[in-house]
Amino acid sequence: MASKKLVTTMKEKAAAVQVIVSEVQNLEEAMAYAIDVTRNQGGASLAAPGWDEASRPALQAGCAQAGLALLGENLREHAGAIHTGLTRADWGIADTGTLVLDASSEDLRLATMLSETHIAVLPLSRLRATSMDLEPELNRLALAPPRYLSFITGASRTADIERVLTLGVHGPLELHLLLLKD
Amino acid sequence: MINTAQDLKEYKKRLKKALDNKFLRTAMGSFATAYKEAQGRLLAGMDVPALTREIAAGKDAALPRLEELYEAFKARAEAAGVKVHLAQTALEANEIIAGIARDRGVRKIVKSKSMTAEETFLNNHLENEGFEVVETDLGEWIIQLRHEGPSHMVLPAIHLSRQEVADLFSKMTGEPQEPDIGQLVKVARRELRKAFLEADMGISGANFAIAETGTLGIISNEGNARLTTTLPRVHVALVGLDKLIPDLATALRILKILPLKATGQVITSYVSWITGANECAPGPGGKKEMHVVFLDNGRLALAQDKVFSEALRCVRCGSCANVCPIYGLVGGHNYGHVYIGAIGLILTYFYHGRKNARAIVANCLNCQACKAVCPAGIDLPHLIKETYCQVLQGEEKQPLKNRLLRRVLKDRRLFHFLLRRASLVQKPLATQEGFLRHLPFFFGKEHEFRSLPVIARIPFRDLWPRLYQQVAKPRYRVALFGGCLVDFVYPEQGVALMKLMKDQKVQVEYPLGQTCCGLPAKMMGEKEVAREVALQNLAALDPADYDYILTLCASCGSHLKEAYPKLLAETPGAAVKVQQLLDKLMDFSSFFTRVLKVKPEMFKGSKKKVAYHSPCHLCRGLGVVQEPRELLATAGLEYLPARDEDTCCGMGGSFSAEFPELSAELLKKKLDAVAETGADLLVTDCPGCVLQLRGGMDKRGGKVKVKHIAEAVAEETN
Ligand code: SF4
Ligand code: SF4
Repeated sequence: MASKKLVTTMKEKAAAVQVIVSEVQNLEEAMAYAIDVTRNQGGASLAAPGWDEASRPALQAGCAQAGLALLGENLREHAGAIHTGLTRADWGIADTGTLVLDASSEDLRLATMLSETHIAVLPLSRLRATSMDLEPELNRLALAPPRYLSFITGASRTADIERVLTLGVHGPLELHLLLLKD
Repeated sequence: MINTAQDLKEYKKRLKKALDNKFLRTAMGSFATAYKEAQGRLLAGMDVPALTREIAAGKDAALPRLEELYEAFKARAEAAGVKVHLAQTALEANEIIAGIARDRGVRKIVKSKSMTAEETFLNNHLENEGFEVVETDLGEWIIQLRHEGPSHMVLPAIHLSRQEVADLFSKMTGEPQEPDIGQLVKVARRELRKAFLEADMGISGANFAIAETGTLGIISNEGNARLTTTLPRVHVALVGLDKLIPDLATALRILKILPLKATGQVITSYVSWITGANECAPGPGGKKEMHVVFLDNGRLALAQDKVFSEALRCVRCGSCANVCPIYGLVGGHNYGHVYIGAIGLILTYFYHGRKNARAIVANCLNCQACKAVCPAGIDLPHLIKETYCQVLQGEEKQPLKNRLLRRVLKDRRLFHFLLRRASLVQKPLATQEGFLRHLPFFFGKEHEFRSLPVIARIPFRDLWPRLYQQVAKPRYRVALFGGCLVDFVYPEQGVALMKLMKDQKVQVEYPLGQTCCGLPAKMMGEKEVAREVALQNLAALDPADYDYILTLCASCGSHLKEAYPKLLAETPGAAVKVQQLLDKLMDFSSFFTRVLKVKPEMFKGSKKKVAYHSPCHLCRGLGVVQEPRELLATAGLEYLPARDEDTCCGMGGSFSAEFPELSAELLKKKLDAVAETGADLLVTDCPGCVLQLRGGMDKRGGKVKVKHIAEAVAEETN
C-alpha cells in the first residue's frame, strides 16, 4: 500500500496539470463515475479496452441503463465517436503526477488518444515515488517486445500560439484519475 | 523556405528589421522574463549542477561508442521486427524515407515534430516526390502552412501573433476565423484529426534511442507523436545518431530536466517508449511496419572531435535560446539556420555549412547566459568562438580588424606604444568628463549610442612607481592583473584599489610584463593570438611568487579562468602554471570581503543609494554573486536591487562595435532598469561594463554616476 505522503504527492502533482482526481473504493464505483461523467458531458459512447472479462457485464449493464454505447474491439472504426476512454493505469509516478500504461494494445492507445475524456483507474498499490523506481519493470517490459509504453501526465496540451496554454489540441481534453484502494 | 543571411551586410539589414518588429519584440521580451521567473521557481531545491554533470558525463561516455550503440540498437530492434537504416548524409536519409513510402504505396504522410527532419529538409524532398505531408505539431503545422522554418526548437511559431494565425487559418479553411486561441486550437484539432485518419505513413523523430532494448523514447505535449506512431500503417522514425544512449536509466535522467528546461513542466504530457513493431490493425499481419533511419550527417566524425564533440551532448531543450539576450531581441529566424539559439550558431556550421553560419556566428556577446542554463553543460560561448574561428579560416579574405589585431596584440611593446600615441592624438578631443568629443569619421551614426572614453593621459603602469607601497611583513603578497582597460583607460580604478590597500598590510605588485588578457582575440576568432598573449602573461605572472592574483576586470578574470586552460592545454608545462594561477585568481569584491574581511568601521556609512550591475563575466564567468553586494553594504551604501541585474549590458567587447544597434538596445534596457531604482550611483565590477554604462548614461543625459566598485568603495573610506 502506498504511503499517505505518496498519495498526497500524486494528487498534488496531478492536480497541478489539471487532472481531475477522485478516490474510488472499487471497480463498480469507477465505472459508475465514468458513466456519470460521460452522461454529464453529453457524450454517447464509452470505450473500455484492457479490462478483464469479468468486469464486462457490469459495464454493459451500466452503459445500457445510461443509454451509452459501449464500444467493443477495433476502435479504429469508431475513431470520431469515442467520447470517454476508461482504462486502467499500470503504474503511477507520484513525483510527476504521471500515469504509466502498457499501451501495446492498439485499442488502448486509441481509447486514450481519440477520446474526448480519458478516465484512468490507478490501484494505489501500483503507485511509485519516481520514474527511477520503475526502471526495472519498464526494462523488463521493453525486453519482451513489441511494447508500447506510455507516460501520461495531464491532458493533451499546447502553448504554440502566443505561449497560451490550451488543453486538448489532439488527444483528450480532460484527464480524470481515479485512485483505487486495493 | 529558410533563407539565412550569408554575409554581414545583409544580416545587419535583417537585424534592423527584426528590431523594428513590435510584436516580435514584445513577445520575445515577455517570454524571456516569464521563462527566467519560472525557472527560478521550478529549479529551486533541485541539485541542477549535479544533474547537469551526470547528463554531460553520460553523453560523453556514449559519444565515442556511437557505432557500437548503433549496432546494439539495430540488433535489438530488428529482432523485434523493425528495419533499421543508417544514412550517411541528409539526402540519403530523405531518399531512404521516400523509398519506403514509394514501396508501400503511401500517398499521405503525417509528421510529428522532428528537428532532425528539419535538418534534412525532409518535407521538401517528400513533397517534390509527390507525397502529401502534413505536420501535426500545432506550431510546426502553422509554419508549414506559412512555408517558414521554426523560430524556436520547442516553440516553432513563437514569432507569430494569434491574429496572424487566425488569418492563416481563415485562408486555409476558407472560413473566417477569429483570433481566439481556444477556437484556433479547435480548428487545428479538427483539420489534423482528418489528416491522421487518412495518412498511410507517420514520420516522427525521437528524443532517445536506447541501445540496450532497441527502444525509441519520444516526448510530446500535444500527443501528436502518439497518434503519428499509432494510426498510420507505416511508421518511420528519423533519428540523429547522437540520440543513441546506452540504457533507460540514462533516458530517465535526461527526462528529469529536459521538460523543466524546455517548457517549465516537470514532465511533458506524453512520453512514449516504443520497442519493436507494435499492433496496428491495417498493417501487414496486424503489425506496424516500422523503420528507424539513423542520420549521421557528420555526427560520427563530430563525436571524435576534441573540441566540438560536446556539441553532441545537446538534448534540444531550447533553453540556450530562451535566455540569450540577442535571441530575445531578434528572434530565431535571425539566430540560427535550422537549429536555433547558441547551439544553432554552432550546429549550423557543421550541418548546414559555412555560408549559412558565417554571419550569425559573429553575433554573440559571450555573456555566458546560455552556458549557465544548458542542462548538458555545453560550453556554448566557447564553441561559438571556436566555430567563428573555423569560419574565418575558410574565408578568402580576412577582415581588416583581424589582420591588424594579429600584428599588434602579440607584440606588447608595439601595442602599448600605439595606445600611448592614440592618447596624444585624442588629447584635443577630450571632454572634461573624459569622453571623446566626437567619434572618428570612420564610425557610422549607429555607433553614437554611447560616448566613448579617451585613452588615459598617463597609463596605470606609468603611475605605478609612485603608487607602489613597500610593505614590511605583509599578510599577503598579491599581483594585480590590470587588463587593458584599467591600465590604459581607467587607471583611476587601480588607484582606488591602492587607496583601499593602504593599511591592509598587503604587498601589491604590478608586474609590468603583463599584457592584454587575450579576450578580444578570442572574441574575434583569433585563437593563435589569444594563445600567444596567454603565454606572455603566464611568463609575467609566476603564480609561485604570490598568494593571490587579483583582478579588477571580471572579463579578464573569466577569460583567464575559462580560456587559458583550453588555450594552453597542449603546451608542455603551461597547464600546471595555469592551474596554479587559477587557484590564486580572485576578483576585487571577493578579496575584500572574503580575504581581507573589511569592516563597516572603515567607512563613512553615507547611505548613498546605489544600483548594481552584475557583470556576465563575474556572476557567471567567475561565479561571484554575493560578494559585491555584501561589500556595498559593508561600505555603508544603500543597495537598491534592479530588474535583470545579471543580464548583459550589451558591451561584449568588440561585439558592441560590430553590432551597435543590438548593443544599444541592451544598454537601453539596462539603463531603464537602473533608472527605475532611483539610485544616484550605478556600480559594477568590470571596466568593460563601466565603459558601456557610463557612455550610455552620458548619451542619455542621465544623472546617475557610473563607477567601478573599487572607486565607489574607496570614496566611502573614513
Ligand atoms: S553567450 Fe550570450 S549572446 Fe552568446 S549565445 Fe550565449 S546567451 Fe547568446
Ligand atoms: S545546447 Fe544545451 S541549452 Fe541549448 S538546446 Fe542543447 S541542451 Fe538545451
